[in-house]
Amino acid sequence: MAEPQPVPINAMFQDDFVTQLALVLDTDTMDEVATKVAHHVVGRRQPDRGLPMVVKYQGKVVPAATTVAEAGIAPLHNVYVEWGTA
Amino acid sequence: MARMPREEWYEVARDVDWTLTYVDDEAVFPEWMSGTGKVPREAWSKWEEPYKVTYPEYVATQREKESGAYGVKAALQRSSVFDNLDEGWKSVAKAHFGGVAIVEYTAALGELRMARFGLSPKWRTMSVFGALDEIRHTQLSLFFPHELLAKGDPQYDWAHKAYHTNDWGMIAARATFDGMMIGANVVDVAIQLPFTFETGFTNVQFVALASDALDSGDINFANMISSIQTDEARHSQQGGPTLEILMEHDPKRAQWIVDKTFWASARLFSILTGPGMDYYTPLEHRKQSYKEFMQEWIVDQFLRSIQDYGLKKPWYWQEFLDGLETWHHSLHLGVWFWRPTVWWKPQGGVSKAEREWLSEKYPNFEQQFGPIWDQLIANINNGAMEKTLPETLPWLCNFCHLPVGTAAAPNNPKYPVRSYSLTNNGYTYHFCSKVCRQIWWEDRDTQHQTTVIERLLGGEIQPPTVEGILGWMGLTPETMGDDAYNYRWAADYAPAATNGGTLVQGGAKNG
Repeated sequence: MAEPQPVPINAMFQDDFVTQLALVLDTDTMDEVATKVAHHVVGRRQPDRGLPMVVKYQGKVVPAATTVAEAGIAPLHNVYVEWGTA
Repeated sequence: MARMPREEWYEVARDVDWTLTYVDDEAVFPEWMSGTGKVPREAWSKWEEPYKVTYPEYVATQREKESGAYGVKAALQRSSVFDNLDEGWKSVAKAHFGGVAIVEYTAALGELRMARFGLSPKWRTMSVFGALDEIRHTQLSLFFPHELLAKGDPQYDWAHKAYHTNDWGMIAARATFDGMMIGANVVDVAIQLPFTFETGFTNVQFVALASDALDSGDINFANMISSIQTDEARHSQQGGPTLEILMEHDPKRAQWIVDKTFWASARLFSILTGPGMDYYTPLEHRKQSYKEFMQEWIVDQFLRSIQDYGLKKPWYWQEFLDGLETWHHSLHLGVWFWRPTVWWKPQGGVSKAEREWLSEKYPNFEQQFGPIWDQLIANINNGAMEKTLPETLPWLCNFCHLPVGTAAAPNNPKYPVRSYSLTNNGYTYHFCSKVCRQIWWEDRDTQHQTTVIERLLGGEIQPPTVEGILGWMGLTPETMGDDAYNYRWAADYAPAATNGGTLVQGGAKNG
């Protein structure tokens, strides 16, 4: 099986003021992507709302278990992470 | 022997030109440098400078200015004025020195290119004086901070060093100024540098900061930049005659040059000047907000000036006006959060009194930026300093090289924080705004400055860690930025139980 490949993405977290570089793996699920993006924002510039997070790619929510490769997220692409509902 | 009166020789002397016989005109004034475009060669003979000055007159005036500037400096050197300056204000000067000193020398090169390739001898003559001006500005901007090194603050070394580093701020400045002064043909240079930049934006930096410097007690800095501004006010007039001729023959090109340069300058000044005026200058010394100053000097005066030449408002005018409400707040927040990446000490500038002032000047400030500052302040007061510092980089705009998001604001439906992307030849570029994206697209053949993010992903920065990035930018532990007041402004918000100066190390303390 091939080694997981790093995918640098241009990530935006809800209510933040900049988009940032986040390094994810092509095998990461959307839950893992959300956690990696949130690491640079939640508790730093945004309070932790204690809610699940969702990843939006090309304007649509991507299911939590979908991987980066399955979603077609490529290096340098935009990804948006938002708070979901409890 | 009696001297010939000036008026009898001036007209001839300033219009000396050669009739070329051994080489073609194109060989001496190649199009890629002289840039006449649709303007017929002979049209440049109408170029007329709006002020007349001879070399002896120029030298006499400059000598007097030099004596004044250096005289005040010498007198103040023996005083304790500098030692009593506010740390926030000192950072205004440090940002200015690093961001401007060697850019002044770049401007000398821009003037020299016009002095060589300008298609009118009068224009070339005036540009020689312009180049001498810019060399003087470089010398002043290096000499004044040099003595401050002896005060034990190595950040002043960045007056000379900054331009030669890969600090992200300098990459942004180089991208803008190279495009304005070095990479363009001289017709474009005349409209970009003296006309658009020097008639508009240098006023903001030099007039506004001179006023704030005086109020803050930094007489030396005020004295230096006021001396520089007297030259700028004169040689900036070189752009007008060039613009007049271009408007007659190719108004579309003229409009484009002004529009793109104005936008690039506005973006850059929102980081170079905005935070200094609205955050670093001590509250009691602020006369006008950045927005108010921009409205007076740019919105009113510059608009009048371009309309006098028959130019229209740039297509993005409303977006620029709206940006006066947000851009520099966002950039200040970014500079403060990524403070180890700058060569000055950014003053947080968000104590309760300062936030009240900001809200008064910018009614949406609290709604847009308050929640983020609240979280940062809570982290400071909880002693969680690591959560006030970065572990990654903001994505940077492929045109202005400033963080994507800083041409917008949180909780701002009209300009939401997002990236404006564009894929060209299979590569995805990112921009902070539609305007940056459009300018990049039109001028893409001249846009080759890669962003820090692209250099990091390309493997140029090793190791690819925060420490590796800071080292690559040229920053050392003694020069990288930290909060100007050691976070004491955050104590305003500390819970009463801990508001007694007993917080954990690195957190905010009273006093």
